[in-house]
This record gives sequence, structure tokens and C-alpha cells, in this order.
Amino acid sequence: MASPGGHGGGAVSTRGGGGGGAGGGARRMKWALELSLGNTRRVTSALLHMTRGDRQSSQGDILYPIGYSDKAVPDTSVQEADRNLVEKRCWDVALGPLKQIPMNLFIMYMSGNTISIFPIMMVCMMAWRPIQALMSLSATFKLLESSSQQWLQGLVYLVGNLLGSALAIYKCQSMGLLPTHSSDWLAFIEPPQRMEIMGGGMVL
Amino acid sequence: MANLTTCLTLFFLCYGLCSAVYEDQVGKFDWRQQYVGKVLFAHFDSHSQAAKKLILATDKNIVASLNSRTGELFWRHVDKVGPEGHIDTLLFHGQDAVVMAGNGRLLRSWESNIGALNWEMVLDTGSFQAAILAGTQDSVKFVAVLKKAVLSLHYLSNGHQKWVETLPDSDTVQYQAVYSSGGSQLFVLGVVPYSHLSIIAFNIEDGEIMSQRSVAAPWVSKVQARCGVVDQGVLLCVDATTLSLYMLPLNSEEPAELQQVPLQSLDLELASGYQPVLLTTQPNPARPPLAQFFLQLGPDHHVLLQLSDGLISPLRDFQPAFLVSFATAGEKTVAAVLSPKNETVSAKAGGVVAETVHPFLHFFLMHCFIVLLLDHAYDLQASSVSLYSADSGRRLLDTTVTVHLDPNGGKPEKLYVHAFLKKDDSVGYRLLVQMEDHTLTFLQQPGRVVWSREEALADVVTMEMVDLPLTGTQAELEGEFGKKADGLAAMVLKRLSSQLILLQAWIAHLWKLFYDARKPRSLVKNEVTIETLARDEFNLQKMIVMVTASGKLFGIDSKSGTVLWKHYLHDVQPNSVFKLMVQRTTAHFPHPPQCTLLIKDKETGLATLHVFNPIFGKKSHVTPPALSRPVLQSLLLPLMDQDYSKVLLLIDDEYKVTAFPSTKHVLQQLQEMASSIFFFLVDSSQGRLSGFRLRKARELSLTDLSTELIWEVVIPPEVQKIVAVKGKRASEHVHSQGRVMGDRSVLYKYLNPNLLAVVTESVDTHQERSFVGVFLIDGITGRIIHEAVQRKARGPIHLVHSENWVVYEYWNAKSRRNEFSVLELFEGTELYNSTVFSSLDRPHLPQVLQQSYIFPSSISTMEATLTEKGITSRHLLVGLPSGAILSLPKMFLDPRRPEVASEQSREENLIPYAPEMPIRTEWFINYNQSVSRVKGIYTAPSGLESTCLVVAYGLDIFQTRVYPSKQFDVLKDDYDYVLISSVLFGLFFATMISKRLAQVKLLNRAWR
Repeated sequence: MASPGGHGGGAVSTRGGGGGGAGGGARRMKWALELSLGNTRRVTSALLHMTRGDRQSSQGDILYPIGYSDKAVPDTSVQEADRNLVEKRCWDVALGPLKQIPMNLFIMYMSGNTISIFPIMMVCMMAWRPIQALMSLSATFKLLESSSQQWLQGLVYLVGNLLGSALAIYKCQSMGLLPTHSSDWLAFIEPPQRMEIMGGGMVL
Repeated sequence: MANLTTCLTLFFLCYGLCSAVYEDQVGKFDWRQQYVGKVLFAHFDSHSQAAKKLILATDKNIVASLNSRTGELFWRHVDKVGPEGHIDTLLFHGQDAVVMAGNGRLLRSWESNIGALNWEMVLDTGSFQAAILAGTQDSVKFVAVLKKAVLSLHYLSNGHQKWVETLPDSDTVQYQAVYSSGGSQLFVLGVVPYSHLSIIAFNIEDGEIMSQRSVAAPWVSKVQARCGVVDQGVLLCVDATTLSLYMLPLNSEEPAELQQVPLQSLDLELASGYQPVLLTTQPNPARPPLAQFFLQLGPDHHVLLQLSDGLISPLRDFQPAFLVSFATAGEKTVAAVLSPKNETVSAKAGGVVAETVHPFLHFFLMHCFIVLLLDHAYDLQASSVSLYSADSGRRLLDTTVTVHLDPNGGKPEKLYVHAFLKKDDSVGYRLLVQMEDHTLTFLQQPGRVVWSREEALADVVTMEMVDLPLTGTQAELEGEFGKKADGLAAMVLKRLSSQLILLQAWIAHLWKLFYDARKPRSLVKNEVTIETLARDEFNLQKMIVMVTASGKLFGIDSKSGTVLWKHYLHDVQPNSVFKLMVQRTTAHFPHPPQCTLLIKDKETGLATLHVFNPIFGKKSHVTPPALSRPVLQSLLLPLMDQDYSKVLLLIDDEYKVTAFPSTKHVLQQLQEMASSIFFFLVDSSQGRLSGFRLRKARELSLTDLSTELIWEVVIPPEVQKIVAVKGKRASEHVHSQGRVMGDRSVLYKYLNPNLLAVVTESVDTHQERSFVGVFLIDGITGRIIHEAVQRKARGPIHLVHSENWVVYEYWNAKSRRNEFSVLELFEGTELYNSTVFSSLDRPHLPQVLQQSYIFPSSISTMEATLTEKGITSRHLLVGLPSGAILSLPKMFLDPRRPEVASEQSREENLIPYAPEMPIRTEWFINYNQSVSRVKGIYTAPSGLESTCLVVAYGLDIFQTRVYPSKQFDVLKDDYDYVLISSVLFGLFFATMISKRLAQVKLLNRAWR
């Protein structure tokens, strides 16, 4: 226990001479590995728990033999109630978009048809969420894999998102953001080419 | 409540549209030049050297005062146009300028210092003959006005009539002159042609006829310029048929006949067929005239004669000499003679002897005549002026000067001399020369041109704006891309050489900057000269080419108003018609730009073409075709020859067509396109509109181009006459093909490029029966698209035709007010053919909408703004008789303005209909710079879409820029560059620093 790290108080100590002068300056080392962790732990474990978090605390506690666990091993056998739970959870995921529709309708109604920053933000959110959901469709499907009604749930999820985006499009339409009118394409009409050349005027 | 909303809407709309200038913007983008016109009468203010005022009366019915040091206007009074305001005579005495205007209707006296009206008298109209200042006992007190049958005398101080007398036998005798020599008598001279002279003496105090006599004169035809009074009241007349001078003392009854002095006895000879002119002078109206006078015997032959003791003797012969004029300095009188230089050798030889006599000798004389010899030559630029002491006809020392007049200005027409006594009692003089081209030049004694005014610009007939050329270096680069590739190595070499030139120019520029920076700021001038002309970044500076009625062409820089070149066309008849066309723009380097001016003589109908470079004013070396037949119209085709000049077609009275330029290439192209080239001619006297098409030549001779008549519309001239025909401007671009409605559908515009607006006025001008008609006619098929008739309306009509709308203004005779009416044409919600427009394939007539408005003022002229791409909204520029130019948004003239505002109309930004059109003073684009008698407004697009260049011309010229939709493509003048850039840099550095900090923090965390 002659190592200077003793008064460093850490498992890995970078520097010696912090607190006491016992170590002396000449024998200072850059770093040292302390193998007898247990001894210090016992002394400073309360302190360690407070300062370093529990990363080190779970690390090799040499009091117990390797492979020993003080928790009881859970029962991993699948039960009927769990299966129902999974099913329910999957339905929750699948019906999520559809559940949002009434909420969206309410927001739509409240935001009105004027073009200003908040309605535009709402519409963007409304349009973006289903699109995002549709893009990460495969991930959602993976989530639903465990369910028996996987395909139905997937369909419901898809329809819900499509409905959501349709709602967003409808909102855009009612706000006049969609180029569906002929006036939206007016600027692209080229002036017609002139077939005849004409000139003249009053007799000079 | 609804009204209130309407008002509020209107207010906000107008608020958004207002476009007045800020105080510090005055004169930044605009300039105005004021003119007076061709001078008829001119008087110099005073006879001292320090005086600097010049009183003018001109053919534009203007009385003005000029600063003789600078040529600037002190004041100017613009009278009515036409005979009503015509200035008959201008008399000047002391501080009062007495003006007779309107053929003897108005007698006015102006205070010459500030131009205030002293008094004004309204006389009986008509038959003005002569007016003089009259005085007694050495003081001028009265103005005598002679009319056909009446002589009246007015006080000079207040204009009140002292007396008025009818003249006896006024039905047979033509009274033409009045004369007073300061005594108690006022003589009136009448003529019975080829019979006798009638002389009546009136008492100046009460108007009583003191004596009346008639003298037999079987040769006499008129008094003006033929007769004059010299010395102590001796009437002198000259007659060409008997080749004699006639003398008669007015005061005494003694000789009952005129004393004849044959010209031969004086060794004088009259040029054959020339009517001699007598010129006398009376320096002070209250004193007798001088005994010396000028006699003009030929167009370039003048003689100074003297009457002494009843004998006439010649003092000096001036040949050649074009003009003579008298002027007074204190007690001395000056006469000016103007002669061509290259032929004056003999006259000068005579003068050399006189030079030895010291001028001091002559100041003992009561009247010292100074003859001023101004030698002028057509080809030579130099002319020489000398002072001649008359009485003896001798020349004074140190008075000969050589004057450089513009050789291009034609002949000098009038000469006004301002003579004054210098401190050492010698005579000094300044002179005002008016040239044939209406240039006024003021010269000082060492032969220095003090100033000159281009008065021809008071009558601009037509104008164009031409883009300036690129700078030499830019043009070099442009030329590089314009030429064909000669191979890789050659191209690389060319590129390197042009880069070298650019580098050279840049270094030269830097050097100049460095050089200028060392000089004090006041010395660095940004003068515009023809050499430094170059297009600016946004093409805002252009060359204004102006054609004036006198036949003088001007090139004016649009930024500063400097006249950069001028060219006088000598052979232009006074009533010619001009048409100016730009055949080649500056875009075709290295070919120079080219303008063609068609000048048609009204009398003969023959036309000539003047082809010139609009940037430098030089006549082009291209020879225009000789036009042997009268030309009816011209047509500039968009077709180009190999040299990129547009083809000009001229139609003569046999409906044959001449092409210019007429190279083989052009003629071939014309043959190919013949079936799609159309003309229309409008004969207003017969009320006929006719359309022609170019006919394909059958044989191979390509030169013979003829036309065929394809349609004709006759508007009966007994009922209505055609006053104006307007097509659309060829350079106009329409960006939007339709209008967006409130429900977001499109109403497509009817954009027929061949549409003509024909305006007619009824022959019957009775208030109840008069009408105004507007016909919209397709110029290719002759189809009448629409006709609108405004009953109980009268002209003059001002019309603007653009895009799909026609705006016209007329006088409503019933309601007695000016009204605007707007016609707009729409195709409907469907386009018939969106790719090509052919008038021959248009089965459906357009929908026409019309609305009218009351305008609170009459107008002088009207034009619409024009921009590069036609995206900017349009404004109407309305020239008002008050001299203001109003920029009226077209938005107010929209037939779709609803009577009751609805949701949809609000969506469309339509202003609810209100019959009254507002005039807002902030819409005046020329703020307080009134432009007198606006005759025309010219608009040209600039390189910036938001900006339109405007030139208003008339008596004055005004140039400015307008921004109908505000400057949406330009940063504001007060844009805070410092703030923006500092914020940008600040943010940039903040980002850098915070990035660094974030890195450090991340690293620290990683170490933990």
C-alpha cells in the first residue's frame, strides 16, 4: 500500500500530490493502476457512490463470485395475458394516426384560412407528420411484427396516415396554396407569336 | 358605414401608391430646361456696362427677361397659344416693357426687374398697325397705338387712355405708321396704294387734328420698311420701280410734293428684282430721329446714308453685308452690319484708313455712329466684328474681333447690339446674334461667346431615346462573342488580348482615381462629353434624339440634359412633317447605331431621308434611296438585313413600295414574307381607312415592290372626321396574358397587336348633336372589333392605346366637364390560340368593358409608362395645362371597378367605383417644376424593370424617372449597409467563436 495513489482516492489516478505531502514530489507518477480496489472501496465506497455515479459500483464487485446475481431470474415463459397486451399495444400504434384526425380537424377549424405564420406552421406540421410516418413505414411494420393481425394493423396505420395527409392537402386547398387554378399557371403562358407585320398611319 | 369603408379602402390604396419625391431628391434624377422660342423683339435693359438684363418677345407668345451674363431666365410670361396671344410689338422704356398682344387687344406693361404686371388695358380687338412711345419735352409719357381706323394715346405710367380719335377716310386710306419726335404733334401716315400718301398731324395734348394733307405718290404701295422719318421730321421713302428716294418735310406745309432723289445720282445701284428696305433710328422717343439711315439695296448690300441740309449723301458702302441694326449707348447710337468674311476684302481696305483716327475725336459729336461689321462666312467658322464710327463711316480702334459662330447653324438672321460707354468714355459693345436655326448667341467684345441658347428646342416635334453604346472594353468583349470562331488558337489569342485590354483599362482607371484624389474636390468635374459616353449598369442613361420644327436635330444626354451634339438641316421647309425611326440600336457592335429621319415637305409632298448616327449626330455614309414620288407613309419592319439594320418600307402615292436598305438579301426576304406584311393608310380628308398587303413579284426582278388593296372602311366625312389613329407601340411587352379574378380563374386579355384605335369627331359642333366616336379596327382585316360613341361630347381628344386597353379623354358638352373613358378588351376565360396570334383566324369578338370618370382638369397630353418586361403596373402620365405632369395609376381607370365592393372584388384589389377621379399633388412627378405647354410625353424603358424614363417636351423640356410600382428591384437610398454588414460579420464571428467554444466544451466533457 505504498503507492501514492492511496491518497488520490480513485481507481485511476492521474496525479499524486493533491492533499497530503506524504507521497513526496520525487516519486510522483503520471498514472497508476491500483489493483487492490476492494480495500479502498470499502473505505470510500460511500463517497464514490455519490461522486462517480453507479458505473463503477456495478463493475466487478469482488465480494461475489463471477456469475452470481443477487436478483431473482425472471420467468421468461410467454403467457396469454402478455400476448393480449402486445396485441393491444400494436393496435394502439396502428390507430394512432386515426386518433389524431379529430384533433387535427379541430386545429384546422381553429386556425382558419388566412395565410399567416401560425396557420402555415400548423399546416406544415399536419402535412409533415403523416409523410414522416409513411417514410418510416417499414420500421413501424417491424414493430408490429409480433402481432398476429399485423397486416390489418399495417393497413389501418397506412390509411390513417393517408387520411392525415389528405386532410393536410385539403387544408392547403382551402387556404389556396395548391396550384389548381388556371391563374396559378398564368405567369408561365408565353405571349403568342405574331403572324403578321403591320404598320402605317395617317397619310403624312 | 359602407361609404366609410370605401373611403378607407381608397385612402389606403392611395397611400400605398403615392410617389412623391423627398426634399433631398429634388434635381437628383430630373432636370428641366426652359426656353422662349424664336426672338421677335429684343431690348437691352440699360445703357450702362453693368446692366445685365435682356427683354425678349418671341414667336411663342412669350415675354421674358434673360440674364445677359449667363443666359438664364430672370422671368418669363407665357401667353395664350395662337393669334390670341400673339405679340404684336414690344416697346421698352426705363423699367417698363410695354407689350401689345393679340392683334391690338391687350396693352400690357411689365416691370422689367421682377416681371410684375404694371398695368393692363383691354382695347378693341383687331387690325393693329403700329405702336410707338411718344413724349413731350424730352420725357417719354405716352404710348400711341395705331389701328386701322383709330388712333389712341395711353399714359405710360398707368395705361389710362388719354384720348382716342377715329381716323378720317379709313375705308380708303390704309394707315400704317405713326411718328412722334417729342414735339406737340403726332403724325399718322396713311397710304392709298399707287395713288397718294396721307399725312395727319394730331395734337398730342387733346387729339385734335392740326393738319391733314395728301401728297401724290403714284409709286407707293406700303409704308413699312419702305418709308421712315429722319432728322428733324423728314419723311423718306424708297421705291424700286422708279429707283429713287423721296423726301418730304412733315412739319412744314411748304413743298406739296415729294422731292425725288434718283439712286443713280448717289452712285447706288439696286440689285435686280430686290425690294429696297429703309432702316432709320430714333434713339429717344422724345427726340427727333437721327439724320443717318441704312438703305438695303440687295440681299447682301447695305449703304449708310446721311441727310444734311436737305441733301442725301452716302457715308459708307457695305457690300457684302447681310444684316444691319441700330443700338444706342447714352448719347451714341450703334449700327451693326453683318457680312460674309471671304468677300469683305474691299470693305476692310476702306476701313484701314479710318483706323488711324483716334476714337476720342468722335465723342465731341452729338451722335456717334458706330458701324459694326460682322463678317460671316458659310464655310468658314471665323467671322470678324468691328466697330465703325459713323458720321464719317470710320472704324474705331481696337474694336475688331474675330467671332466663332457655329458653322452648322445656318445664316445669322437677326442682330441686336448692346452698346455702352466704358469708364474711359470709349464705346464697348455686346451683341446678340440670332441664327437661322434659332440659336441665340451672346458675344462679348474680345470675341468670346458668353452664352448661347438653343431656342429651337422650344418646338420639339418628335423624339426617340437610344441606348448608349457600351464602353470600348465592354464592346471589345461583346465583339469577341459576336464573331465566329476561327479555331481554338485564334480564340485563345483573342481572349488573351481582350483580357489584356481590360487590364489596361482597369489600370488606367486606377491611375485616374489616384490622380483625381490628389486634386481638390472642386476641380474634379464629372463632365459628360461625347467621348466619355457609356452605358451605365442599369441602362438609365440614354441619348435623347430630338427633332425640332426648325429642322435642327439634337442629341441630349438624358442624365444631365447637356446637348452633346446638334445638327442643322438647312433645306427643311417650315411646315415639314417629321418621322423619326431607329433602324439599328447600339446592340450590334461593331455596326454603329443608325436613325433615319423622314422629312416630308407639305407643299410638294416629296420626302427626303436623313440617315445619321444617334450617338454622335454624324450623317451616315449610307446613301438613302432617292424618293421621286410623294411618300404617304413608312413602315419599320422587324426584319433585318445582314448589317442588322431594320428594313424601312416607304409607300408612295402610287402605292409602290421602296425598301431601305434594299440589298438583295433584304429583297429576297421581303418576297418570302410578302404575304404577311400589311399596311394601313388613313386619309382623314376623305374619311377613308384602307389596308394593303405587299404583293409578291411575279417575275424575278425583285426591286419592283407593289401592294394590293385588301380592305377599305369609309367613315363618311360629312358626319364625322377622323382626328387620330393609334396603334400599339412596337416595343411594348405584356408580361401577364390575363387577369386573375376573385375566384382565381383567369380572364384572358385580348392582346391583338394589330388593333387600331380610330377617333372621330362629329362635324356638327352643336352642343346637343356633337359626338365623339372611338372605333377599334383590326389593321389587317379591317374588321371593326368595337365602336363606342360618346354623345354630347367634343374634342380635343387625347388617347392612349396599350396592352388590351384604350383610355381617352374628351369634353362632355352637356355636363360641361372633362371625362376619362376606358375600354378594356378580354377574350374570356378561354384562350382561342395561345401560341400564335393571327388576325386572319379570330372567329370570336372580344368582350369589351367600358367605364367613364370625371376628371377635374383639362389635359394637354397623355402617355402610358413603359417598362422593360411589362411586369410593373402601368401609370398614365397626364400633362396638365397648369404645367404639372400627373402620374395617374391605371388602377383607377379600370372598367371592372365594382359599384358595390364584394368579397371577390376586394380579393382582386379593385377600388369601388367613384365617378370623380382624384388629382393628388403628390402624384405630380415634376413637383414644382412646371412644364409649360406640354406637347408630348415620351416614355422609355430602362434596364431596371421598376423604372421608366420620362421626357416631357413642349416649350420646356423635363426629364425624370418614374417608378409605378415603387423601386422593388433596387435597395433604398437610405439602406443601412453598415448595420447590415456589421450584423452579418458579427454573426459570422459569433458562429466561429461559439463553434470553437462548443468544441472545447465537448472535449472537456469527453475527458471527464
